[in-house]
Amino acid sequence: MTGNAVSAKLPAPRMSKATGKSRAMPLVALILAWLVPGAGHAYIGRIARGIVIFVAIAATFWAGVAMGGVMTVDYHGERWWFIAQMCSGVHGLVSWHRQQTVYDRLTEDLRVVDPDTARSSEVSYQQMLIDQKLARDKLVLVAPADTVARAYAGVAGLLNLMCIFDAVILAILGVSGEPQRQPEQEVRLPQNPP
Amino acid sequence: MIAWTLFYNPIPFRSDSTLWLLLPLCAMVAAVYKTVRTHNVRRLPVEILVLVGYMAGGLVVLGGALWLIQAYWP
Repeated sequence: MTGNAVSAKLPAPRMSKATGKSRAMPLVALILAWLVPGAGHAYIGRIARGIVIFVAIAATFWAGVAMGGVMTVDYHGERWWFIAQMCSGVHGLVSWHRQQTVYDRLTEDLRVVDPDTARSSEVSYQQMLIDQKLARDKLVLVAPADTVARAYAGVAGLLNLMCIFDAVILAILGVSGEPQRQPEQEVRLPQNPP
Repeated sequence: MIAWTLFYNPIPFRSDSTLWLLLPLCAMVAAVYKTVRTHNVRRLPVEILVLVGYMAGGLVVLGGALWLIQAYWP
């Protein structure tokens, strides 16, 4: 200790880069983050994080589809999983389109009944015919593959939901770029406080 | 005979091997969570590994506790 003050090294507060004129718009961040996982973070200047998020969510989602096949995303049978899977943006939309194409092909020669208005026996009979066709094409998703596949794809969507919230909140706060840690500052403290 | 196609037909699973599929799912959850939360991207791999360790350890402890309960519950 020398002089009347004690030198102490304190970490500087974490600061973000200056937002400047190009402030990120929350709505654009929301749409980008939903449509392409990681794009919301790339939009607010966190490109490395965006790449990691994209790779991780794409790998998780398509691992699920690889395990469960085309019926992993099933609007007709698994509504709650379907909602979670749709949070993964373009991945969910592509899978839904593939599933819908197969479903339309299977039901093209059936008289499709509306589950809300038809009798339960008609709905059951139609479902039985569809299940028979799925079994014929080896597309039936049975336990335990159905749980694992839908969990992978659904968790990918829910992870993207977390990333959407993060990107939107950062855009609302006006944060742009990676948080920067400034070099440690020397702060002089009084030696004998009154 | 219908040919098996990846991303189209489901993969046949054995029930006793599905538990191991929790590990890659934990790794992906840890990767995305830490990517969002970390302040320093350079430390990301280390933080992901630590979190995966915590998650795997927690699952092992939870599984062990549940096994003890079902095995020795009066």
